[in-house]
Amino acid sequence: MSGFTISRRTMLAGSAMLLASTAMPDTGWAQTPKKGGRLVLAADSEPRNLNPAIVASNGVFFISSKIVETLAEASFDGKDGLAPRLALSWEGAADGLSVTFKLRDGVKWHDGKPFTSADVAFSALQIWKPLQNLGRTVFKDLAAVETPDDLTAVFKFAKPTPFQLIRNALPALSSVVPKHIYEVGKIEDNPANNAPIGTGPFKFAEYKAGQYYRLTKNADYWGKDEPYLDEIIYQVLPDRTSAASALEAEEIQLAAFSAVPLADLDRISKVPGLKVISKGYEGLTYQLVVEINHRRKELADLKVRQAIAHAIDKDFVVKTVFLGYATTATGPVPKNDPQFYTADVPTYPFDVAKANALLDEAGYKKGPDGKRFTLKLLPAPYFNETKQFGDYLRQALAAIGIDAQLVNNDSAAHIKAVYTDHAFDLAVGPPVFRGDPAISTTILVQSGIPDGVPFSNQGGYKNDALDALIAKASETLDTTARTDLYKEFQKEVAADLPLINVAEWSFISVARDTVGNIANNPRWAVSNWADTYLAG
Amino acid sequence: MSRFRRFLRTPEAVAGAIILAALIAMALSASLLFPGDPQAIAGPALLPPFQDWSLPLGTDRLGRDVLAELFHGARTSLAVGLAAAAAALAVGSVVGTLAGFAGGFIDEVLMRITDAFQTVPSFLLALAFVSVVGPSLGIVVIAIALGTWTGPARVARAEVLSIRERDYVASARAIGMHPLAIAFREVLPNALPPVLAMSSVIVAAAILTEAALSFLGLGDPNRVTWGGMIAEGRTVLRTAPFLSIVPGIALVLTVLGVYLAGEGIVETTAVRRGLQ
Repeated sequence: MSGFTISRRTMLAGSAMLLASTAMPDTGWAQTPKKGGRLVLAADSEPRNLNPAIVASNGVFFISSKIVETLAEASFDGKDGLAPRLALSWEGAADGLSVTFKLRDGVKWHDGKPFTSADVAFSALQIWKPLQNLGRTVFKDLAAVETPDDLTAVFKFAKPTPFQLIRNALPALSSVVPKHIYEVGKIEDNPANNAPIGTGPFKFAEYKAGQYYRLTKNADYWGKDEPYLDEIIYQVLPDRTSAASALEAEEIQLAAFSAVPLADLDRISKVPGLKVISKGYEGLTYQLVVEINHRRKELADLKVRQAIAHAIDKDFVVKTVFLGYATTATGPVPKNDPQFYTADVPTYPFDVAKANALLDEAGYKKGPDGKRFTLKLLPAPYFNETKQFGDYLRQALAAIGIDAQLVNNDSAAHIKAVYTDHAFDLAVGPPVFRGDPAISTTILVQSGIPDGVPFSNQGGYKNDALDALIAKASETLDTTARTDLYKEFQKEVAADLPLINVAEWSFISVARDTVGNIANNPRWAVSNWADTYLAG
Repeated sequence: MSRFRRFLRTPEAVAGAIILAALIAMALSASLLFPGDPQAIAGPALLPPFQDWSLPLGTDRLGRDVLAELFHGARTSLAVGLAAAAAALAVGSVVGTLAGFAGGFIDEVLMRITDAFQTVPSFLLALAFVSVVGPSLGIVVIAIALGTWTGPARVARAEVLSIRERDYVASARAIGMHPLAIAFREVLPNALPPVLAMSSVIVAAAILTEAALSFLGLGDPNRVTWGGMIAEGRTVLRTAPFLSIVPGIALVLTVLGVYLAGEGIVETTAVRRGLQ
């Protein structure tokens, strides 16, 4: 009985707030941040290594970005789309051989030691460049980091490196870890990888495998009055269907990274007290890509690749697989990228007749059973959507006489099959666009990448013109010229189809109305949450 | 004839037989009623059942015809169930007969192997096998048989132990028949009935194991399976529950039908034995 009254009261409160918000549209949600409280949210994976300086991936950032900070964070309105964090300013030299960072004063590590330029130099030279998955490419020419004083770090490059690239790489690649912790012993085996020590608004408190991660407030944080929250609990809920029920039962207040299945969003948006937010992921665009093994003689033929591109109904994919929470793609740079995207590329409208004609032209006639040839199709298992697109692609290919045999693997087996053993003809992959094509996009089509590097060109594709273009862009310092080269790159990729870009999607957060300052930067879910608060 | 009539007199057995017959009819008619690929996209996505009579049970998340998938799924379920049970019974009775008839060292070795297989939960064994070798229909059948042949083996051995002391076995030995010929021509056929009585349970368990494997994504992805359909539907359980419920009901009915029909057969044969 009491349960009923409570739920009715919250219902009434909710509808009253709703009324208030419509009556006073300007002030409805502009509440002043409130201090204190514990934010409980859903986590769907449990990364073992929590060091974002080594493993620059969203799964790690989701937790450790609150503990370990970067030099700068992405921003909706900041200059060049950046907001300062540990660095206050950054300046690139005209010759592309150095970048100067001015660092924030009065910042302390969680163990009380002061943060200085020596930490930045150590992180860059000892971790980002040699060990980090993304830093290996971006910082490959980093020769030295000079520290004229405690608050200045000057990055010296052996070869001219575009400042635009370094700038775009800051939000994801520049996590600074403490030198005094990491200089003892082997960096990969340091216990701080599992219990990170940083400068961020929250300290790592504990991790119970299969249950939760707990972060507590850093009272010495440099941000004025920040953080607002006392505690953040990441409740491990690996089953995607359980996040929605947990939100409704008020066990958790936030489910980020589309932990609530897309098919449930329509229903859950009508639940009083919950809001569905599709902002805050603009800087983390995932691309739905058909990876192609060019070692197969049929797929080495451009006409066949064009036929496959014409056979895919991108609108259907967006509407059915992503339920509208995605956009169709034209090429290797997503449409929402403000700097590089160009729509001026060859496109492949959905046209089964044309696809069939192209295959006939290529000399692969339909056999008596209506089949032209058989392919092995490996959808990546990381997302429901990649698996479903695999099911769709099989049907789309059947319509043009290509018999695709699905092979399902778990994550580890998929990565091995595609990126090490090359035991695939077509694969469905979700690469991430990270604000600059040179960070993790050109590697998808560039030749000469050793076997076993995940999320890179392992399809045996080699195009000298494209390689030359990528090489030229990587050393072009002028921002406009560099941007133009990447527009050229998009054209060339869309024309020669080393892979087929189908759609671009991001994530959805579902939160209780009480959670404030959500989605206020383009990488919100993986930013530091110093200003996130709980009202009421 | 009288056995058939006795079978007809047990209502559960009749119910089981009817369900089973309907299933077999579904499996056999799948290609006739729903020619072409059952996984082809046939209409708008997530169409609820009983809205459009050309798609009576609606469509799934990609717009595939649920009824067509159900019919083709019946085929996979029955095929896997029967094949796995047949394999398990064949391997089990051969191993059991050899062990029981040979005795001594061979018996010890074979029975310890059986023990080893029995100590591992059969579902885990199937799971491990499929994840190592990779999912395809044949592999799934082998994986299920791998965990279920031990039951028939033990029953067959026990039966053979008593049969091998009978006079007709002694006389077969006396006329100089090869021991293997005695084992498989004289002993095995007589040891079979109690082993076969287990078949209904084994088929039912095999169908369930196959569904569970498919549910976990370890079924053959190029074939429609009921377990796979339930797994697909699970992501939209709250908005389109019918996608999981329909194949779920089919699965329950199948297992029930197989079990009831099997029990009916066992019972009628038991009665016959009792009367004699």
